[in-house]
Amino acid sequence: MSWYLVRRLLLTLPVLFFVSVIVFSLINLIPGDPARIMLGEEASREALSALRKEMGLDRPRYVQYLLWLNHVARGDFGRSVRDGRPVLDTLLLKLPVTIELAVTSLVVAWVIAIPAGVVAAWKQRTALDYAATTVALAGISVPNFWLGIMMIYLFAVNLRLLPPSGYIEPWIDLARSLKLMVMPSIVLGAALAALVMRLLRSSMLEVLGTDYIRTARAKGLDDVVVLIRHAMKNAMIPVVTVMGLQLSGLLGGAVITETIFAVPGLGRLTVDSILTRDYPMVQGVVLFAALAGARTE
Amino acid sequence: MKRALWIFILIGALAATSVTAAPQRGGTLRVGLNADPPNLDPHQSTAAVDRQVFQNLYDKLVDINQNLEIVPMLATSWQIADGGRTYTFKLRQGVVFHDGTPFNAEAVKFNFERMLDKSFGSPRFNEVSLVTGVTVVDPYTVRIALEKPYSPFLAVLSDRAGMMVSPAAAQKLGKGLAREPVGTGPYKFVEKRPQERIVLERFDKHWDKNAGNIDRIIYRPFTDENARLANLRADELDIIDQVGPTEIPKLRTDPVLRLLERSGLEYQGMYIMVAGPPFNNKLLRQALDATIDRRTLVNVVFGETALPANGPFPPALFTYDIPANSRIPERNVDLARQRLREAGMPNGFSFTLKITPGRVAQQIGQVIQSMASDAGIKVNLEVVEFGAMLSQLDAHKFEAALLGWSGRPDPDGNIYGFFVTDGGLNNSAYSNPKVDTLLDAARILTTRDQRKRAYADIMTVLDDELPYLYLYWPKQYKVLGPKLQGFVHISDGMMRFRSTWLNP
Repeated sequence: MSWYLVRRLLLTLPVLFFVSVIVFSLINLIPGDPARIMLGEEASREALSALRKEMGLDRPRYVQYLLWLNHVARGDFGRSVRDGRPVLDTLLLKLPVTIELAVTSLVVAWVIAIPAGVVAAWKQRTALDYAATTVALAGISVPNFWLGIMMIYLFAVNLRLLPPSGYIEPWIDLARSLKLMVMPSIVLGAALAALVMRLLRSSMLEVLGTDYIRTARAKGLDDVVVLIRHAMKNAMIPVVTVMGLQLSGLLGGAVITETIFAVPGLGRLTVDSILTRDYPMVQGVVLFAALAGARTE
Repeated sequence: MKRALWIFILIGALAATSVTAAPQRGGTLRVGLNADPPNLDPHQSTAAVDRQVFQNLYDKLVDINQNLEIVPMLATSWQIADGGRTYTFKLRQGVVFHDGTPFNAEAVKFNFERMLDKSFGSPRFNEVSLVTGVTVVDPYTVRIALEKPYSPFLAVLSDRAGMMVSPAAAQKLGKGLAREPVGTGPYKFVEKRPQERIVLERFDKHWDKNAGNIDRIIYRPFTDENARLANLRADELDIIDQVGPTEIPKLRTDPVLRLLERSGLEYQGMYIMVAGPPFNNKLLRQALDATIDRRTLVNVVFGETALPANGPFPPALFTYDIPANSRIPERNVDLARQRLREAGMPNGFSFTLKITPGRVAQQIGQVIQSMASDAGIKVNLEVVEFGAMLSQLDAHKFEAALLGWSGRPDPDGNIYGFFVTDGGLNNSAYSNPKVDTLLDAARILTTRDQRKRAYADIMTVLDDELPYLYLYWPKQYKVLGPKLQGFVHISDGMMRFRSTWLNP
């Protein structure tokens, strides 16, 4: 088992290497000179060439890449060209935010999806099944930004039950931190729940039709015991796999949800950095997300 | 008896209003910005949103008031001599930076040298490049010499170039001042968390004891305009900058929120590259211009949130009522056809209009496309990412491009660099010796009347030669929650919180 883990970890190294090459190439393909974007419309030619030199943009691309790789290998992700902060510091600042949002979203998704999926499969082709399937379909179809704004207006503006936006670390104020996470994690969790519920339903249906379930029922076991102890165990296998993939997606950041609820996570950092051509930051974030993806798988 | 009662009620009412109108101390002001300010050093900053935070973190040598007139700030008075080549500033005494460094003539000298230091690479360099020397006359008098007369100089010093940073902090931190800003403003820096918040706290040693009634200011970025407004409605914010055009009519009648509207300094329109085909032919520029119905364009895309424009001077600037600037031409498709015939292209021509990504630019592009087609002019729209657009404009690699200007409080800032031969913003590659002379003359002339006459002559030429088609002047909006009082809305759109206070 430990050998397996070591092998998996070693295997992530070439993955990360390829990701780094791809990220570096892609960001260089984006049109627009980063120095020009940073200095804006009125920049003087002297200031532009000085900044290009400072950022190393006057060197050949492969040199730029190797220099960066050399630093990263030693744990130095460089400094953001936008605000001068070390990239790693900003990443570490955003990480707890993103983890908290990912975990609470997953909890929301499980709490909704598992009972709904089991009931829908158990009561197949009944009103309950149709209701659950319809809600799931809605969950997948409703756009995040719309659901987010509607929730803010309902729960924060009209009912004044929840704060509309923001973030605070759970170790500073746990109650408020969780309150702030309610709406974003419902918005993120809803789409995820819909997916999981449909997957669980079909996988449950398959399992419920197998011989061993029939045997268990024939032995006179209670329906609930059959469902929970026998059927669910096997039906959850594909669901857990998909959840793992979803989690790595969530760790990469949920841009729209973070934007609507002003949650300062990795998603907004990524978008802001791409828009301002903050090369070191984009490279850092993507490499980091790739690492998270490789680990969860 | 009845009369006595009325007087009594009147006195009571007056007393009540004076109680609510008196500034209150304390509280935390929550401000919603449209983006995250990346850089808090005015000598390094390029993002427009940075300036919002600067207004309260830094003092400038001079400021502008609601009528865009220059008023004292760190400089209490000034004398302009030597035909506009020398500016002597008397400085305010008893001013200290947030780190305790005293503010004086040496500090002013240091700040100018920092902006002019080529190895530092300040984006302010172009704004102060005419400065040839800064002399400390005495501890509170500083003389600035210019290479040539430059009447917009004070207006330039009312913005980032006039903001004074602490010499001690700048020497210690270098470019790191962007993360730990130290000014003399009524609020000092506490913390910044990227994409999350910037916190400022009242500076007790500020020279103006009446400035800064509020204890703390928290700036939060909301890139989504719906989310920004929703947070104001939920009482999570006290004031927001910028609001979507569709929300304006609803906000006008909102029982709780207050909408503030003002003419801005910004203009929007279209660069025309006059040094290459097809638009090196003036007749074709005039033909295109004649097909555009600016009033309809504004109605369709902006409703009442912008004004149709024919020049670079929106109503807030003193040069606004120059006829060639403020008179909006009627659409005239017959004239367009006539110009096309004169140019030997009776069946029209085609050109590519570059636009930046986004709904508004796309809508404007489509409106122009359909208007121009009525005269047989075919417009191909090409969406170009903003950074790429800037590079292509620099290199004059375009035929026409939709891009405006954020505007400056002095008219010079809205016109000079765009049309002077080889100017830094002369993307149209326009060159006309007469315009060059007039633009320079407007910088030497000192009275508003004289300058206005020079700009009127320039506008008459530009209105005929059309190196840039002005389309509209966006208005400035702020939305306030019920608590914030005493806010003064100035056309530059900057949120100054010196005299504001919060009702509990």
